Amino acid sequence: MSILSLQQVNKKYNQAIDFAINDVSFEVEEGEILALVGESGSGKTTLLRLIAGLEHPDSGIISLSGQKIVEGKRSVPAHERQVGMVFQDYALFPHLTILDNIKFGLKGSNQEVERVAKDTLRLVGLKEDYTKYPHQLSGGQQQRVALARAIAPNPKILLMDEPFSNLDAMLKDQIREEIRQIIKKTGITAIFVTHDTKDALSTADRIAILHKGFLQQIDIPKVLYENPVNPYVANFFGKRNEMEAIPTEDGYHTTFGFISDSEAKKHKNKVKLLFRPEHGEVVQRDGQQLSGKIVKISYFGSHQMVKLADDEGKRVTIRTNPGRSFEGMDRAQFFLWKYDVEEAY
Amino acid sequence: MKTVKQSYYWWNKWTGYSILILLLVATPLFTIFFKLFDKPGGSWEHIANNLLFGYFQNTIFLLIGVAVLTFLLGVSTAWLVSNYEFPGRRYFEWLLILPLGFPGYIMAYTYVGILDYTGPIQVFLRNNFDIQVKGSLIDIMNLPGAIFILSITLFPYVFLITRSSFLQQSKTLQEASFLLGANRFTTFFKVALPMARPAIVAGIALAAMEVLNDYGTVKYFGVNTFTTGIFRAWFSMGDASTAIYLAAILMVFVFVILYLESIQRGNRQYSSSNGSQKPTARVHPSIGKKLLYSAICLTIFLLSFLFPFLQLLNWVSMTYHKVVNQDFFLLIYRSFGLAAVTGFSIVVFSVILLYALRLSPFKWVKNITKVATLGYAIPGAVIAVGVMIPFIALDKWIYSNLITSQTAGLFFSGTLFALVFAYIVRFMAVGYNPVEAGFQKIGIHVNEASRLLGVRSTKTLWKIDLPLIKTSLVSGIILVFVDVLKELPLTLILRPFNYQTLATKAFDMATNEMIAESANAALIIILTGIIPIIFLNRLIRKREL
Repeated sequence: MSILSLQQVNKKYNQAIDFAINDVSFEVEEGEILALVGESGSGKTTLLRLIAGLEHPDSGIISLSGQKIVEGKRSVPAHERQVGMVFQDYALFPHLTILDNIKFGLKGSNQEVERVAKDTLRLVGLKEDYTKYPHQLSGGQQQRVALARAIAPNPKILLMDEPFSNLDAMLKDQIREEIRQIIKKTGITAIFVTHDTKDALSTADRIAILHKGFLQQIDIPKVLYENPVNPYVANFFGKRNEMEAIPTEDGYHTTFGFISDSEAKKHKNKVKLLFRPEHGEVVQRDGQQLSGKIVKISYFGSHQMVKLADDEGKRVTIRTNPGRSFEGMDRAQFFLWKYDVEEAY
Repeated sequence: MKTVKQSYYWWNKWTGYSILILLLVATPLFTIFFKLFDKPGGSWEHIANNLLFGYFQNTIFLLIGVAVLTFLLGVSTAWLVSNYEFPGRRYFEWLLILPLGFPGYIMAYTYVGILDYTGPIQVFLRNNFDIQVKGSLIDIMNLPGAIFILSITLFPYVFLITRSSFLQQSKTLQEASFLLGANRFTTFFKVALPMARPAIVAGIALAAMEVLNDYGTVKYFGVNTFTTGIFRAWFSMGDASTAIYLAAILMVFVFVILYLESIQRGNRQYSSSNGSQKPTARVHPSIGKKLLYSAICLTIFLLSFLFPFLQLLNWVSMTYHKVVNQDFFLLIYRSFGLAAVTGFSIVVFSVILLYALRLSPFKWVKNITKVATLGYAIPGAVIAVGVMIPFIALDKWIYSNLITSQTAGLFFSGTLFALVFAYIVRFMAVGYNPVEAGFQKIGIHVNEASRLLGVRSTKTLWKIDLPLIKTSLVSGIILVFVDVLKELPLTLILRPFNYQTLATKAFDMATNEMIAESANAALIIILTGIIPIIFLNRLIRKREL
């Protein structure tokens, strides 16, 4: 069942010409983790704040667990929405202790509040002294407190704004996984905003991509990566190689060589072949006679990137395993096991 | 949970309160504006034919003179203390701000006393050299004298803002200028000064506003300006509509200054936000130059603060046994009470306005706060007239409609309520700015976090925002407190009959040939004024580190 639904939501800032959010509609299922990704200025944080009730749309409907919380100019105030939020800067109350920060949003008898607060702190794995103040904690610990504070009142939905951006690279992978597990354990529905595709791919159940206020595509990571609906989405997850090709009856002629493909006859004009570096391999295989001059080899530890050039100097990048040696080689043959075809003109 | 049908997002009680505050605070302005369309009073023709040109001339000369002199005093000292190392440099940084604690009118009659027949200079000359001077040593009770007095009390505005601008200028810019072959002198005129221009003009504009506001100095020196004209029309001629005409002309001056300040500032951003924030390293000049720089700063400090301050102390030691009695303590109690009530009210209003803006960051709310804090630019006499007229009308209405007996007193006009209300209009911005800075510093996220945790906006204000901006609230109250204590023209017009504050008492005594006695009240005003000055300097110095 969908817990959150947005219908044709629009939002424009005071003097801006462009809409910050443009006719966005989507639904979020109960218990899922949705990532909102996009470049800065794409409207992803605005969207999060609209759901929270911290900003107000110009038009559209937002419903949370079946109740309308926004309809045009009317809206339920933020403090009545039962929405949890983890801010990018954590926004912990600096004048309250860790425990008081968690207790802030809890209602009930003192005993009850104390118990829930401590349980939540245990859940997020904070082993610090609870009477400390936020500034006495490390960044990672502050984030756990922020998460605990947001989930302690048992909100209908949890919103997180760039939750991993303040963590250093070493800590990030570990915390990303831990947070995913905590969220899954509580069964809470979560939406988080990020500009980092790695965060989105590894943490989210589904990903929504925003560009200039428009929702581009919303789907599971695999579909977005493999079947992007448009070039923007495709390029968002890493650069794709482009290769010009002339279709014939039985394949494509490219500047790197010939690829046999029975589908080629569907096209009449020049096309572009688009593929990711990992969709190629530096080996020869039947049906494709592709080769290029080795221009540059970059070593990344877990893999190598090989740049190959055709006679005109146009380049493609192919990913290969790190053990492979190219010593003494001038040219390399390669093979594409997957590519998209786009009409060039 | 409320349903959507019940609440419009742009409406909450905070925006409601801020509209109310706006209506109250802007009343004096609207009054002046609408009364302009009435016929001028009977004395208008007389004033227009005989006095207006003089008012105009004096006000213009006063403005130009003070602008030039504060520029010279303020910029030169700011450049010296931020670029050179010389004996006393660290102390001059804050000593040169102290003159701000001296209200112009007190400075005026202190100087008259210093130069007088019984003053220390003439006594010294008589006793040691047997030199007799006829009358005053130098006659300063004229326009140049007023320019001098106002400049030495107001140059710290220019000094303060220019100094912080010099400190913010990035080190690399001046180094680049040196490497391109310019010496310190050319660098100052070609790089540092043009970059500090917006700051310098802002400082001079502040000083100019204070000149337009001044009544005590020009009245004491017999220089007729628009402000004294308003007093004359109001008190001597009892002609309210003429006072309003004069007030409106004075407002034209204010808006011209505000306009000039804003167009020169334009959209240019001279403070480079990127790159090194380190100020230029101070240079150690030759011994001779060091002594010269110390001498310059020392002379300015002696003239603008220490000499007059010592003179006041001297007078106090001579007269305190006559003056400091129960009545005097009553005076202190009243003045401090008025200042505290005003400070507190302004901070409460500022919190309401800013909280409305915080919850509903819309343009129209922002505009409300802008209009509500406009009073700082409006001369006290103008505000007084603008407050008096609607209050008198209100009292008349109450008498004709609600009360039949003739014994009841006035309800609004001529009451402390009217006085405090006018103070609030005039000094709103003084308390508003630190509160705004406080809110900006803590950011909006803590507030949003609290509301998302289910806590209403009012409770969030009490539990999160206010505890976090405590120091800003206190500094807002202190800054307003000091300004109210110093305030003269507005208090003179609006105070209840025979009601004295420290400022009015000091002024009354001084104008009645009791200068020495007036020093007691003056000293308390100045000492109270020095506290936030030192406080302010700390803030700037922190930025320097």
